[in-house]
Amino acid sequence: MQKLYLPQLAVIDQIVDETADTKTFTMHFDNPHYNAEFRYLSGQFVEASVLGVGEAPFGFCSNPNRTGTFAVTVRAIGRVTRAMHAMHPGDLLGIRAPLGNHFPLQEVQGYDILFVAGGIGLPPLRSLIEPMLDMREKFGRFTILYGARTPADRVYKTRLEEWAQRKDLTLLQTVDVPDETWNGPVGVVTTLFERTHIDPAATVAFTCGPPVMIRFVIQDLLAMGFPEDHIISTLERYMKCGVGKCGHCAIGHKYICVDGPVFSWRQIKKLPER
Amino acid sequence: MPIIEKWLISKTHLFERLESLSREQTVIAPVRQSDGEVSFQPIRSADEITLEYVNELHPPKRFLQPVFEPLFTFNLGGARPQLTAAPPPSPQILFGVRSCDVQGFRHMDGFFSGAFKDDLYWQRRNQTTVISMACLQPADTCFCICCNGGPYLSDGFDLQLTDLGELFLAEVGSSKGAAIVQTCDRQSAGDKEERHRQALMQACDEKMIPTAYLAKAVIAITNQRVDEKLWEEMGLECFSCGGCTHVCPCCTCFEVLDHRETEKTGLRFRCWDSCQYAGFTREASGHNPRAQSKERVKRRFYHKLSFAYIQADGHPGCVGCGRCITVCQAFGLLDMAAVVKRIRREGQMVAE
Repeated sequence: MQKLYLPQLAVIDQIVDETADTKTFTMHFDNPHYNAEFRYLSGQFVEASVLGVGEAPFGFCSNPNRTGTFAVTVRAIGRVTRAMHAMHPGDLLGIRAPLGNHFPLQEVQGYDILFVAGGIGLPPLRSLIEPMLDMREKFGRFTILYGARTPADRVYKTRLEEWAQRKDLTLLQTVDVPDETWNGPVGVVTTLFERTHIDPAATVAFTCGPPVMIRFVIQDLLAMGFPEDHIISTLERYMKCGVGKCGHCAIGHKYICVDGPVFSWRQIKKLPER
Repeated sequence: MPIIEKWLISKTHLFERLESLSREQTVIAPVRQSDGEVSFQPIRSADEITLEYVNELHPPKRFLQPVFEPLFTFNLGGARPQLTAAPPPSPQILFGVRSCDVQGFRHMDGFFSGAFKDDLYWQRRNQTTVISMACLQPADTCFCICCNGGPYLSDGFDLQLTDLGELFLAEVGSSKGAAIVQTCDRQSAGDKEERHRQALMQACDEKMIPTAYLAKAVIAITNQRVDEKLWEEMGLECFSCGGCTHVCPCCTCFEVLDHRETEKTGLRFRCWDSCQYAGFTREASGHNPRAQSKERVKRRFYHKLSFAYIQADGHPGCVGCGRCITVCQAFGLLDMAAVVKRIRREGQMVAE
């Protein structure tokens, strides 16, 4: 049977408003056996269907160690995402998952870890931050830098507060446009680099956010002396099939949906267009 | 090299056989239309088949990857949505496929395989018998001899026919091909027929002008040494009509869309798409990494000619059918033969 393109039904358990245009959907598969067997890795993604409207890809934002449910954070920006935002707990989505490659987790043990996230780039990184914190002792210094347009545009505000309380990690946040609630740094996320201590030779950096932000982050990391394969990012493209066949997400000879979305700068810089 | 059984079979007999097979399955063959054009169509009678044809403008890839193909239907009316996979395709025989298009099928076979095997494609493919026709009538745009695409093949077909007048030389490429030959009156083909075929193929080769030397373009594209100015020039010439990709036997890109037939029912389908359309890479945010047509033209030739793809596919993404030459609106400037010539003659940056 055509399993490749046929989604599994998933029930929405919870919908959380993150920002004015962004919500987090927690769900589980309707088929209990399928749900019990289902596993995924940080960095992988789902193709989510609103039947009759269409299908779109979203990175997992949940912790893969917590089986039974999974979550994606979705900004209402196109047809499918707007239809998702109109849904309620108990409604059904079609899900094809897990798709794509994943972040290195075992391979980066022993290193200092640096996360640089912008806006809605935090969700896919959260699916890596949380399993890393589950085994915090395996890593050195742990730093999360997060930039957003305004304080209200930050996702996971409760989680950010929890992280800020932790003594075993450093969380620095900045916004482009502050409001009366904000007494933290103002400016683009790269301005946070000078507020933290980073040892490039001993650190692996993970960055995700708008393409222009990623470009400047990588430029700065390289200038600091980061090795090319210690800079890990995700690439995004318009995507349809999620299995390397429809052709939309191809960059050079790589298909973001199967060869990615996770790439090191060493891999990205070889691509003929980026 | 597999040992290929060679037989001589009577034309009339094979045509009768195809006619009777058309009662059980779809038989698609070259048919002359009322306007004189020849196109591949389902037949019910052997009289409809013509052997006098230069290849059709539309490649037979549509019989393996339909222009429009349902993936599943949905019904949202009940307590739970019901998803039903599209019904399996029925068996079909493709008669008279040219060698270049058989090579195109093999390209598709490779592409739709791999870690994520496209079961929908393979269901159809496995139900298909390909009876190919060694080419005696190349168009003046043909360059299969530059691409290992013909005029005849040593494998890849179920049955390969060469027209020897009253008789076909029939070469068996698979058990499906053998099954058809076994039901026809036949006699073993010998050296004499083989020599006859060689002479015909030689004559066909000579009719073709080898216009598309791919090698230099492959090297330049692989090493990213094509002058950016040439892509810019080609971007200005391209109308982004997508014609080249639609007639290309090696192009397989598709779009996936949902369609509601009633408020509660509908289907998800895939349909042909083209990397030459501006919307192909446009994201919901409006960001478009290939907004300019020069980037899209570059993409098309990167996919067809870069070493990374040739290594993955085993061959360039061109079979030399020449259809892009016929269809291109840009005054003969952007088809495969023209582009490799332009890259060879003027498009390479000087090595630093």
